[in-house]
Amino acid sequence: MTNLSRRDFLKLVRDGFLVLSGALALGGVLRFLDFQPNPAQKTQFDLGSATNYPIGSRTALSEIPALLIHAESGFSALSLVCTHLGCNLGEDESGFACPCHSSHFDAEGKVTHGPAAKPLSPLRIEISEDNRVILHTS
Amino acid sequence: MYFFILHLSSFILFPMPPSFFHHLHPPTIPTAQARWRHTLAAGGTAIFLMLILGVTGILEMFYYAPNPAEAALSVQTITYHVPFGGFIRNLHYWAAQALIVVSAVHFLRVIFTAAYGHPRRFNYLLGLALFVVSIMLDFTGYILRWDVDICWPLTTGTNLLKTIPVIGDFLYRIAVGGNEVCETALLRFYTWHIFGLTILVVILGVWHAFRVRRDGGIAVPPPQLRADVTRIPRDELVRREVLTMFIVSIGLILLSIFVPAPIAAAMSVSIRESVTESVDVRAPWFFLWVQQMLKWGDPFIFGVLIPSIILALLALIPYIFPQPNEAEIGSWFPKSNRLAQIIVAIIGTIIIILTFINR
Amino acid sequence: MRRLLPLFSFLFFLTLLLVWWVDSRQPKPVELIPTLTGQPEYCITCHADLPEISASHPVETFGCVSCHGGERLALDADLAHSTMRGGANPSDLSVAEISCGGSNCHSGSEADDRDHIQRVMTSVQATYAGAIASIRYTFGAQTDLAAHFGIAAVSDDESQTGIKSLDAFNPAIDSNPMLQKFGENCLVCHLHAKPQEGEAFARQTGCAACHSTGEHTMSTAIPYTQCNACHNRGNYDLRTMTFVERTDQPTSRLADYYQPISQFTKCEYTLDCVDCHTRDETMGDGDIHANQASIQYVQCKTCHGTLTELPLTKTLTDPNDIVFRMAFLNPIMDLKLGDTIIVTEQGEPLWNARQLPDGTFEMVGKATKQYFTFRPVMGTACEQNPDQQESNYCHECHAVEK
Repeated sequence: MTNLSRRDFLKLVRDGFLVLSGALALGGVLRFLDFQPNPAQKTQFDLGSATNYPIGSRTALSEIPALLIHAESGFSALSLVCTHLGCNLGEDESGFACPCHSSHFDAEGKVTHGPAAKPLSPLRIEISEDNRVILHTS
Repeated sequence: MYFFILHLSSFILFPMPPSFFHHLHPPTIPTAQARWRHTLAAGGTAIFLMLILGVTGILEMFYYAPNPAEAALSVQTITYHVPFGGFIRNLHYWAAQALIVVSAVHFLRVIFTAAYGHPRRFNYLLGLALFVVSIMLDFTGYILRWDVDICWPLTTGTNLLKTIPVIGDFLYRIAVGGNEVCETALLRFYTWHIFGLTILVVILGVWHAFRVRRDGGIAVPPPQLRADVTRIPRDELVRREVLTMFIVSIGLILLSIFVPAPIAAAMSVSIRESVTESVDVRAPWFFLWVQQMLKWGDPFIFGVLIPSIILALLALIPYIFPQPNEAEIGSWFPKSNRLAQIIVAIIGTIIIILTFINR
Repeated sequence: MRRLLPLFSFLFFLTLLLVWWVDSRQPKPVELIPTLTGQPEYCITCHADLPEISASHPVETFGCVSCHGGERLALDADLAHSTMRGGANPSDLSVAEISCGGSNCHSGSEADDRDHIQRVMTSVQATYAGAIASIRYTFGAQTDLAAHFGIAAVSDDESQTGIKSLDAFNPAIDSNPMLQKFGENCLVCHLHAKPQEGEAFARQTGCAACHSTGEHTMSTAIPYTQCNACHNRGNYDLRTMTFVERTDQPTSRLADYYQPISQFTKCEYTLDCVDCHTRDETMGDGDIHANQASIQYVQCKTCHGTLTELPLTKTLTDPNDIVFRMAFLNPIMDLKLGDTIIVTEQGEPLWNARQLPDGTFEMVGKATKQYFTFRPVMGTACEQNPDQQESNYCHECHAVEK
């Protein structure tokens, strides 16, 4: 091994471990930043007894936000979050309007005009053994 | 990561046009200026510790909540729940404590090698100011824990300001932001810690480093009086600095893995309700000597006046004491500044004794 | 120097690897967000194996911190435990008001008269007022038998007994050495005092003294052994003012009762104390009483009546009657509206004693779940003098040989 290549080898070792150390430190910092300090968001809502929602009723639940529909065929629910960029929708005569970028959805959740492209997402409804309506947002 | 960037800057940025880095690293410097046994690597280490403190401090800010209800809980979140959070907090803590020790060592080196004489008198003052601001940073950072153990040091420390005649109440309002140490104090201390004092340290630190070179580098005798006329190239200086950084980093990391930073139960909203018998009433270690003196009597005399007199005395050393003999500059314990050495040794010994009495 | 840098570069890398390794070995925190507080707590990271405290306090609802205190986020045992209320026992009387109280919990609201904490604090079980008064009277420190002192100071402006407050008894104010010895040795059993060191004095404090019937368990089904922890572990010697621990090893429940002069009928050692003794008697009625005799009133006749009177009963007509709540907490009997249960002369329900259609009674042991039937005295061959109806007269005939 010549003197020069020995020097180069030591340099390579030095810089190699520095790069590896940098990667470890960077990975650590990214993991550090990835933590979510707040408790996970609630994804399950107990809406009370099913008898509170007669057949044919449409109930807007602004705190979720969601629309609970009780039709002949049973319970269903629509998310009232705009599929464009996530603003909460407001109810109007013909359906739901987004205050942020003027997307509009009809009463069934279909887009009547953009910029939103996707219809409102349906949410899962579960009727518990004691006849309570449980809504799942995920 | 800081290390990585620093390393890149020192090796890759070389071809770039002259910068502040080149100001601090001229093509060659006298070998004597870069000897471990001469500098103890204290000044450079202090700057490196400040960089660590900056990076770890910024990381902590991502989770720290500066309001009385959440502060201690967010510290617990960082310590126990954020991945590597406890380690980063420990690193911040130990770097801060090391900074005080290293700054003190740096100061003693400057005194005991007679390095403060003209033209370095002003830079000596800058260094002293940096030391004081660093201690204030350490104290404010300690208060940010906002747990039950900080109650009394916060109360007594800020009440000391009130004892100062004429401007005491004004200083208290500036520091605490209200008449009672409560909600406002935390936000004040937070802002002082991460912004007010930090910006001061950056300005003073850059100025101090700039003046080191402007004043002719680390203090050594003028060329005609030097025993050793050899010089080392910039590469060699950087290599020594990098080696120091490696050693300091490894030491700090090991310390941070095995010795956790202090933490205590969260304070309830009212500071007075939080104080129970189990609470630690001792000042942070760097103020133990002041706390010991406060047991003796008047808080203004022992808590404000005497520390201020000591600081003033130290600040005046380059101005009122005999100038060191030029040939002796940079050698340990020269005869020509015996008086300054003796005074600093006495003050230092008293402070250390007071600290240990109050353990 | 040229070789040092690669070496330290490698060591630096190793220490960073160590940081990752240490991190990977941390136990994974287990989060619990109780619905009552909505604030995450991590106690069950270590305490997953504790039994549920009671069916009324499910951990998913209450979590740990609302009762125990402590640092809910800390994963370091010392820090997490540093602010726990009452150490391991949040129901200690010094902290029970914070841990167990509150108008939604055991302090109750003014209207429903359920401040259990206040009534325990002022009960003779906590104050020891009667004994303090009579001992001080005996040794000449006070001229009457009136209660002036409790173990801790208590007050109740609305006390129906006429005693509005008691001062804390400080034996140091009395010069008599016997009274000082009394202060040292004889207060420690009572709820407001710290238990003394030693096995004979081992008891839990506060609510748990009676209600904690097992490890991390709270119950209203309180077996006699729970009461025995204080009431049956030895005897006091008034001549030396000391407590004499029992030394025997009881083999039967009858023998387990340790008052040498006492007499018992069969039901008294077959049932549990709480089958007869009511809430007011054991926990106090909210008023400050001068002594035990002023609060303890249940006698044999409470259930059995006398030759001339049947026991008092009450037919349940109100679905919100407190007895349904008591039966819910300790479901040993399927109480229904329309059932007739025994009540005491002060109107407290003995809800586990129900009248049968034929006029006899059935009873289920609160702790043992044993089923009994019994009949009233009226119409039997009992020859007892009608104005001698206290239990000690019953014992004359019905006590069992020990």
